[in-house]
Amino acid sequence: MTEQAIVDRLCEEFDFLRDRVYVQRPKRIMTQFLDRKEFKQVVNFIHDVLGFYKASHVVGTDEGPDLGFIYIFSNSDGIILALKQKAPKSDPRIDTLTDMYPSLLLHERELVDLFGAQVQGLPDGPRYPLPDGWPEGNYPMRKDWKPEYFDKKTMTYNPPGTGKEGDEK
Amino acid sequence: MSDKTDTGKNRVVIPIGPQHPSLKEPGCFIITLEGEKVVDAVVGIGYNHRGLEKTCESRTYIQDLYIIERVCGICSHTHSTAYCQGIEELAGIKIPPRAAYIRVIVAELERLHSHLLWLGVAAHEIGFDTMFMYTWRDREKVLDILAEVCGNRVNYGINTIGGVRRDLDDYMLDSIQKTADVLEDQIKYYLDLAQNEPTLEARLSGIGKLSKEDAIKFGAVGPVARAAGIPDDIRVIEPYAAYGEIPVNPVTDTHADVFGRTIVRIKEMLESINIIRFCIKNLPAGEIAVKAPRRIPAGEVISRTEAPRGENIHYIRSNGTDKPDRVRVRAPSEANWHGMNHMLKGQYLADVPITIAAIDPCYSCTDRAIVLASENGTNVTGWQELRQYSIEWYKKRGIDVASVKIPDKKIIMNM
Repeated sequence: MTEQAIVDRLCEEFDFLRDRVYVQRPKRIMTQFLDRKEFKQVVNFIHDVLGFYKASHVVGTDEGPDLGFIYIFSNSDGIILALKQKAPKSDPRIDTLTDMYPSLLLHERELVDLFGAQVQGLPDGPRYPLPDGWPEGNYPMRKDWKPEYFDKKTMTYNPPGTGKEGDEK
Repeated sequence: MSDKTDTGKNRVVIPIGPQHPSLKEPGCFIITLEGEKVVDAVVGIGYNHRGLEKTCESRTYIQDLYIIERVCGICSHTHSTAYCQGIEELAGIKIPPRAAYIRVIVAELERLHSHLLWLGVAAHEIGFDTMFMYTWRDREKVLDILAEVCGNRVNYGINTIGGVRRDLDDYMLDSIQKTADVLEDQIKYYLDLAQNEPTLEARLSGIGKLSKEDAIKFGAVGPVARAAGIPDDIRVIEPYAAYGEIPVNPVTDTHADVFGRTIVRIKEMLESINIIRFCIKNLPAGEIAVKAPRRIPAGEVISRTEAPRGENIHYIRSNGTDKPDRVRVRAPSEANWHGMNHMLKGQYLADVPITIAAIDPCYSCTDRAIVLASENGTNVTGWQELRQYSIEWYKKRGIDVASVKIPDKKIIMNM
């Protein structure tokens, strides 16, 4: 299947994808951000029907009030489909895809540690990649988290206004 | 610790790491044993997380190039290539053909030294230290060439946004050619050894099994996937740099175990030598770089390269400024960890180190320095002097290294 044929098939299957999925260049298909429900439907379809058997990783992004998750899938022709979903920071719940794609386990754990995503159904296991004792509620890949306010000795985050700023030596 | 399971069998849990026997980098493996057999393994990594992606967001594109180059001490070129070609795509830059060829030459030299390093580590893990010393000796030849071409043994710094930073002159091309000739003989010898030495096959066969189906399921990449019969190679799937003009034959194997991974890596080295020879013969003349803008237009790009360890993916999002909005690096080792639990289960405890080593974990050998000038009075010891010193050192203690006879004359000649 060519890139355009995949896009056409996706649009045919899902009305909500019209004008939201496009061929960026040869071997690259991108989507705009989908919501949790739409995303799940599309993932099931590309996995079961379109043969996107490989999930390389998930890129977490900070989208202001939301968190963005860009999933990189590919098929046997080496075509990459970047499927995106968004969740509000106030309720950053997404579903795990590790049942379909076990290769996403570490990447989903990373979303939990670095972005504060709540990945529903993620199997138990050691955290990744932050160390034990990392202060709760600190998600370093969010744009509002600044490394200069983090005190490595006490492992505390002291932004201006908390009265502890300048503690970092 | 040990406990009794429902089946009445005694289980012992052994935490190995973070400092552990096969990697020179930290990783923690909680191994559950029944007798000598591994029944479960939990992989704990992340000890080396350095926050490079966050750092990239607060620096300019060109500053980030130096950070990205340091993602990995062994395959730094593949990361800088993926990063540079991503930025070039965002900026709409086409690099000169000569630069594309130079990127390929350095990439294949990097693959050679990485695979030679791995072959030595693997040999060491199974107690075959003679092979470890031979392969690491040969690896030095590649590193010397890389130092000559790039100025550094590792972290080559050859890439820049828009091309490469250094040109190759005839003398360098001749050096590369001569080294390739010597290495080819050696690598053929290793292939012969791997295929015909019964103890090597007996030690590695059936260890760390990952079938084709499981390799697909766990997203294995590079030699781990190719040893299971999956011919995925980004140099062929999506040719980058000059790979579109160069014949590349992905090496596959069907053993799907550590033995297969060994064969694949050795054959890949021969393939790399062919590619290097092709590049030298067909190296286009002309410029080596074009000017790149400081500010990169807003957009997003997914850039891929075939690292020595497999598919390397960079995601870069720009926002129109001189700093990226997001840089995400998916190194190949990150993909290969997912199948580790499956590979370890059912193995003997003694096979754990070689199974872990067989996905080719990285470690950086940046300690050694090459000092090219001694005008300031610095005491400089060159390679030959260092070698002579070590021979004298052993002689004083009654060991004459020069008198040791090695049966295979071909190897002595190549030393």
